[in-house]
Amino acid sequence: MRSILLIVVACLIAVAAGYGFYRYAHHAPAVASEPLPAGLQFSGLDGHPHHLEEWRGKLLLVNFWATWCTPCLHEIPQLVKMQKQYAARGLQIVGPAVDDEDAVRSMQGPLGINYPVLSGTPDAMIDIMEKLGNGPGGLPFSILVSPDGQIVQRQLGEFTPAQLTQLIEAHLPAAAS
Amino acid sequence: MNTGALGLAVGATLLSGMAAADGLWPHKDAGSRDLLKADDAFRLLAAEREGRALKVSWDIAPGYYLYRKRISVEALAPEGARVDAPELPRGERIEDEYQGSAEIYHGSLQAVLHWPGASAAPQRLRVSYQGCAEAGVCYPPQTRLIDVIDLSH
Repeated sequence: MRSILLIVVACLIAVAAGYGFYRYAHHAPAVASEPLPAGLQFSGLDGHPHHLEEWRGKLLLVNFWATWCTPCLHEIPQLVKMQKQYAARGLQIVGPAVDDEDAVRSMQGPLGINYPVLSGTPDAMIDIMEKLGNGPGGLPFSILVSPDGQIVQRQLGEFTPAQLTQLIEAHLPAAAS
Repeated sequence: MNTGALGLAVGATLLSGMAAADGLWPHKDAGSRDLLKADDAFRLLAAEREGRALKVSWDIAPGYYLYRKRISVEALAPEGARVDAPELPRGERIEDEYQGSAEIYHGSLQAVLHWPGASAAPQRLRVSYQGCAEAGVCYPPQTRLIDVIDLSH
């Protein structure tokens, strides 16, 4: 009985050690990031053209999505929550839609999207995603851009809530005490 | 106590801890490394004519699926050629809170098409389809132009 208890304790310590070592090893200062390509142009549902540079100074999360993309629709409520929670600390989410504008407008309200939704022809959006490192063109696809315009993270597929929170917290200034 | 067994258990749980941390901490370029390109995930094999039927086939890679409702075929040549709606097998039914009920296909898929009697046999088709990876990534709708191989002769 005592032996089993010792094994269990040793295993628990090992799990914690493995987890802690991994976090330490991956919490190093950001490796060389790359500048956001200039000149990426989108249309807005507001009818005005938009460039990602207009959000320079913010921690910018660009989330490409579509109404026909189920994982995208699952992810958006979490993005809405993050925008609400972290806007005051400098987070700005934008959501370029690889989709028909009418379909996007019809989903914007039900999804409660509280950040700008951008649009463009599917071919133009796919081209932009390729320039941003999404060769396969899959969705959802997100990039995180630092306030000084560097791409610091790419994500193809949904974020888990924990991943998203940790990522945003890691790149935002600390909250004022 | 068996020292070897203890060492094995500790080592396995150490790795488990690291794996758990890996799952929780996003890689800098997460997800793009393993995703197939659309043409590899959903290989459009051929469009073949045998008698009065056209057969359009796909080979869908393991871990990927196509949506039934996103499959469409249109005749492009010769001028005036038409095809009826594709006949598709029963797919696997899935439910989703946003998309509702849908049928999807894994593995091999074949659609059978016929054309109206007065119409010429189609020689070129526009085939559209859309699918996703089980890993939680969806591809934009794909459209390919494909020539029909006549197996009748």
